[in-house]
Amino acid sequence: MSDPTMGAPVLLEMTVAGALILVSGLCVLCSYRVIRGPTVPDRVVALDTIATNVVAIAVLFALLTGRGLFVTVSLVLAIIGFIATVSVAKFVTEGEVIE
Amino acid sequence: MTTVIMRTTARAVVPIILVVALSLFVEGHNLPGGGFIAGVLTTTAFALLYIAFGLDFLERGVLGRDIEPGKTPSRDRVVIAYRRVFSFGLAISVASGLVPLLFDLPFLSQTYVEFENVPLYGHLELASALAFDFGVYCVVVGGLLTILSVVGAE
Repeated sequence: MSDPTMGAPVLLEMTVAGALILVSGLCVLCSYRVIRGPTVPDRVVALDTIATNVVAIAVLFALLTGRGLFVTVSLVLAIIGFIATVSVAKFVTEGEVIE
Repeated sequence: MTTVIMRTTARAVVPIILVVALSLFVEGHNLPGGGFIAGVLTTTAFALLYIAFGLDFLERGVLGRDIEPGKTPSRDRVVIAYRRVFSFGLAISVASGLVPLLFDLPFLSQTYVEFENVPLYGHLELASALAFDFGVYCVVVGGLLTILSVVGAE
């Protein structure tokens, strides 16, 4: 960590805290689309966005606390979210996941 | 059939997933990670291959074997190999738990050795829990891939 008198870490901390609040609010807004979404693709896209937001929350939390293990968490979550989105997209378009 | 975009993405992403799984497996004894999550990530890499290239790709495209027509995919030799990996991992886990009993220690006791001046690493810590983790890894990979290929063929 750098010198606390420089002021930059305070600014960084405030920015990260603000970004955390913003991303959490976005998760709540996306959950509205998950519940009310008229069609299945709406819900799928909303769930994928929530997964991406959780990845962002993990990275921001790693920045805030300085713990590197949350970056690993975000990496694994991103991989799982990608696989889930691909398989659901294939199920919606073709009707089966594995041929 | 999947699109070119999907197949190209799968070619790029599968090695990345395998490297992440390997790193999680290796650091498992003193950081978050370990055999289970490494096995799950390896299974997702295989799942991505199955989704992008179809169920026959591992048997025909990678191993270069011909598939007998009319045979159900659950009788493939790949699936039999998955089942063998499952039983192999179970045997490794039980054996690594039983080894401390030979030294008059409780069941599943673990220890570690440290190496100095290892090339590329410098300081290397080798835990005996790695053997148990490897067994868990094999059980997870074998079990999940058996489920995936047999259920995916239905």
